Amino acid sequence: MAIAVFIVFGLLAIAGGVGVISFHQPIRSVLSLVVVMLSLSVLFLLLSAQFVFVVQIIVYAGAVMVLFLFVITLLGPTRATGRGRLRFQAGLSALFVLAFFGLLYAMLQGVQYRQPDHTDLNAFGTVQSIAVGLFTTYLYPFELTSVLLLVAAIGAIYLSRRDES
Amino acid sequence: MGTLDIGGSQLDVSWFLLLGAALFTLGTIGVLVRRNPLIILISIELMLNAVNLTLVAFSRQLENLEGQLFALMTMTVAAAEAVVGLAILVDIFRVRDLEDIDDLSELKG
Repeated sequence: MAIAVFIVFGLLAIAGGVGVISFHQPIRSVLSLVVVMLSLSVLFLLLSAQFVFVVQIIVYAGAVMVLFLFVITLLGPTRATGRGRLRFQAGLSALFVLAFFGLLYAMLQGVQYRQPDHTDLNAFGTVQSIAVGLFTTYLYPFELTSVLLLVAAIGAIYLSRRDES
Repeated sequence: MGTLDIGGSQLDVSWFLLLGAALFTLGTIGVLVRRNPLIILISIELMLNAVNLTLVAFSRQLENLEGQLFALMTMTVAAAEAVVGLAILVDIFRVRDLEDIDDLSELKG
């Protein structure tokens, strides 16, 4: 059962990823990215990460994607791009990407895992256990992310203001 | 080593890692090949999602919650990056009509 779920949603994620980089209309790329995010959220659930699953749907598939859609409506339709001015861009990119994926694959072959921690898997990844981690050991990084979000909000408001002069 | 027992069936954790690597590579292709700045930003989101999958898979394999906590931090950073990046993009598009990311080459010297 779990294997079937993994295969279906893994293939869906790959298909969505291919769609992101191959569609010419940005709106189709964004909708493909929504497909990728929803299938990844199912895989998070498979990996018993319930809270990350919910946050993935709310924050990513909800908030960030709506932001992208707003920007696309704001910018209007894009014109078709002509030929690029970099002559060897596609060939060099293909070479680099093949080498990069080969490197990742080779590293995955020799990966060694240490002994698992033997925590109780029934309470693994629940809201309670995540909250215990966030508010005890990782309290300072957690508070720093709120500062980061504040800085991002102020920066976005500053950048998108109307020029009065 | 490396097999997960999920609901009674055995899954190898390296499948998840391989899927994450494939999605990250797809995002890399998008950043390198596409010339629409909006699609480049979308591809960066795809890469960050692939990293999140890898973090959560390792977290489950080692039965250690810190990977999931780090994935949540990554989501925060990704949201902040999307907000600021899109604001810069809107600002650039307001000044001039851009059709290719290579048009922004003033810093090249």
